[in-house]
Amino acid sequence: MPRIPRRVALTGSLAAAVALPLTGCSALTPSKASSDGDLVLRVQGMPPATEKPALALFKKQVAEFEKANPGIMVKGSTTVFDPLTFSAKLSGGNVEDVIKVPLTEPQRLIQQGQVQPITGQLQKWDHFKEFNPQVIKQLSSGDGEVYGVPQYPYAQGLVYNRELFEKAGLDPDSPPTTWDEVRAAAKRISERTGRAGFVHESKDNQGGWQLTMLTYAFGGDLEKLENGTYAATFTGEPTKKALRLLKDMRWKDDSMGRSQLNNQNDVIKQFAAGQVGMFMGSPGTYRLAKMQFGMADTDAFGVAAMPQSGGNATLTGGDVYLVPKSADARHAAAAVKWLTFAYAQPQYSTTAAAQQAKSLAEDPKSAVGVPTLPVFDAARQARIDAAIKPYANVRTEHFEPYTEGLAGLDLKAEPPYQAQRLYTALDSVVQAVLTKRDAKIDALLAAAEKDVNAKLAADQK
Amino acid sequence: MSLLATEPTRAAAVSKESPAGPARRRRGRAVRGQLTAWAFLVPALLVFGFFAWWPILRGLLISFQRTNLTDPPTWVGLDNFRSLFADPLLTTAVGNTLLFVALAVLIGFPAPLLLAAVISTVRRGAGVYRFLVYLPVVIPPVVAILLWKWFYDPGSGLFNSALGLVGLGPYSWLESSGSAMLSLVLEATWAGMGGAVLIYLAAMVGIPGELYEAAEVDGAGVRRRVWHVLLPQLRSVIGLLLLVQLLNTVQVFTEPYVFTGGGPESATLTVLLLIFRYAFQDGAYGQAAALSCLMVIVLALLSAVYLRVTRTWSSS
Repeated sequence: MPRIPRRVALTGSLAAAVALPLTGCSALTPSKASSDGDLVLRVQGMPPATEKPALALFKKQVAEFEKANPGIMVKGSTTVFDPLTFSAKLSGGNVEDVIKVPLTEPQRLIQQGQVQPITGQLQKWDHFKEFNPQVIKQLSSGDGEVYGVPQYPYAQGLVYNRELFEKAGLDPDSPPTTWDEVRAAAKRISERTGRAGFVHESKDNQGGWQLTMLTYAFGGDLEKLENGTYAATFTGEPTKKALRLLKDMRWKDDSMGRSQLNNQNDVIKQFAAGQVGMFMGSPGTYRLAKMQFGMADTDAFGVAAMPQSGGNATLTGGDVYLVPKSADARHAAAAVKWLTFAYAQPQYSTTAAAQQAKSLAEDPKSAVGVPTLPVFDAARQARIDAAIKPYANVRTEHFEPYTEGLAGLDLKAEPPYQAQRLYTALDSVVQAVLTKRDAKIDALLAAAEKDVNAKLAADQK
Repeated sequence: MSLLATEPTRAAAVSKESPAGPARRRRGRAVRGQLTAWAFLVPALLVFGFFAWWPILRGLLISFQRTNLTDPPTWVGLDNFRSLFADPLLTTAVGNTLLFVALAVLIGFPAPLLLAAVISTVRRGAGVYRFLVYLPVVIPPVVAILLWKWFYDPGSGLFNSALGLVGLGPYSWLESSGSAMLSLVLEATWAGMGGAVLIYLAAMVGIPGELYEAAEVDGAGVRRRVWHVLLPQLRSVIGLLLLVQLLNTVQVFTEPYVFTGGGPESATLTVLLLIFRYAFQDGAYGQAAALSCLMVIVLALLSAVYLRVTRTWSSS
């Protein structure tokens, strides 16, 4: 074997040593300008290649935007927001200039200073003042700065299996409107069909999240602001009542099925397979049940407004487009232009909404016509709904109990400060109630409140 | 031949140099040799530096800071450690981790030894048994856990269905705080013992047959042969695997994360899962780093014992 001259080996090794980190960095660091000097705007929200009509629509929007805004080149990304990796990616400068996040996240991102306010530029859009204040409040900080543009906002309701309702002798067109009725219906479904009458999520912070919905429906809150400091309020009577209801359904009625450690995906998967009578969810779970978990009989999908027991309120949700802190002033300005062009305007314009619905309806797996909360006022939403209606491919009458019941409800946001910490603590409480016959609700809530308040106090020092 | 011919010339040239010459040349050769060695080391050092040592150092720094990873961090001294020790979940997590380790040693440690002993007595088809025992090791951990999740399903799971045939159950395997950790250990044992079985089998092959024969001649039964011949001969392997088992089980994460998410009622919340929650659910990176640092100290102590013990055995 020929020997490599020492000088060559030395030079090669050093070159490799220097080049390795450099190539690594260059591969990871996104480019900020194209070769011809255009500003490159990287945006999340591009549909995957499997959703052909939606992807075609996105590309068409990009082409139109670039034509209307010379000097900006939009680069779509199918990357989905992942709360586990977001901070690290942001710290490394690898996050897109526009991110798409679920409505559970904006307050945390705002409080952690990981996104930037866009009020100044968004105000220039003609219809800024017409945004639904209940929706926009959830994308805003305490001092009124707006951080994003909402898409398909919704309120939580009661998703139910119409087929199981019929088998249990219940009227699927008159779903429960109170939690006493939910309990009675769950018992009946369980007894007559052998399926779980009602399922409550309990892990991955989703137990706490769903207990928040129940607490709102019973007229309570889980957090209060006193003297400028947030504190958890788990020991209120509404939360206790909500947990007592779950305990009775689980241990007295035996109507909650056998499997109790579930997250949202577990529940929707079981629902799509016809194993669950009812669960708390949004109309958007239709998409998940159909597209992700292959629900065969989508006609069995029904959704009602959140049943109430004194609260007359429900929790909201949806998607939001935000601009991360890593975007510099030029990119942030271009990002807001894109947000108004691609998301605000199409949700305002009946023509754009109809065009979008028509394109999406070409995909048989899509779900067009799933109701959303008004992004603007109710009259505007009614016009949008009417424009979309000809292209709807869902049984819109199965969503009517939701839309009709929602009108009278107060829409409430998630607990404003460190909601995920609250949910972690409440997960354990929900799990105890669902897995221990002799769970002491008052003591569990008091202990969880004490623990979480110590953490919140430390965070607010 | 040509080499021999050149030797006198080289020798003559050397003899003409001053006495300091050879020493300088040796030094020069040594420096060049060191340079070459460094040149080859630098890429590896850079890679380790960027991807291992710098993150470790950064973790240590973050444990004394409050940071959201984007804004400039603020120094908070020992605050992260204080809030860590004030969190009641820490005691729960440490207790659960120790319970997992204890159960894994009690159940997961003797199981492969026993299985190896049984397989070593098989005359025909031992290869098939070895293959079957090793098979779970090649199944991706998450897939194996999802499979066992179905086994444990309280409604239609394999275990409850099988036990139902003899009138037992149904049991809430993962959903009772009393049995959840045990259920995790059973799966972890099944998934991980293949490697240990193969190591024991290899060690058993090395035990001289005469020892068993001599014991048999002396009237030793199976139990005494195991106790007086097999176990003493496997002493070093058993000790080694025990330490490896301890090191691995202290860091348990995948099983509680995928099976139960730490529930029910934090009954399967382990130290690593708590670190994960601090960092990725609560955004409390300082606390996560502080707990990681404490974990590193424990692991370093265990590793020191491991190195000391293995060195003693290898020298003996």
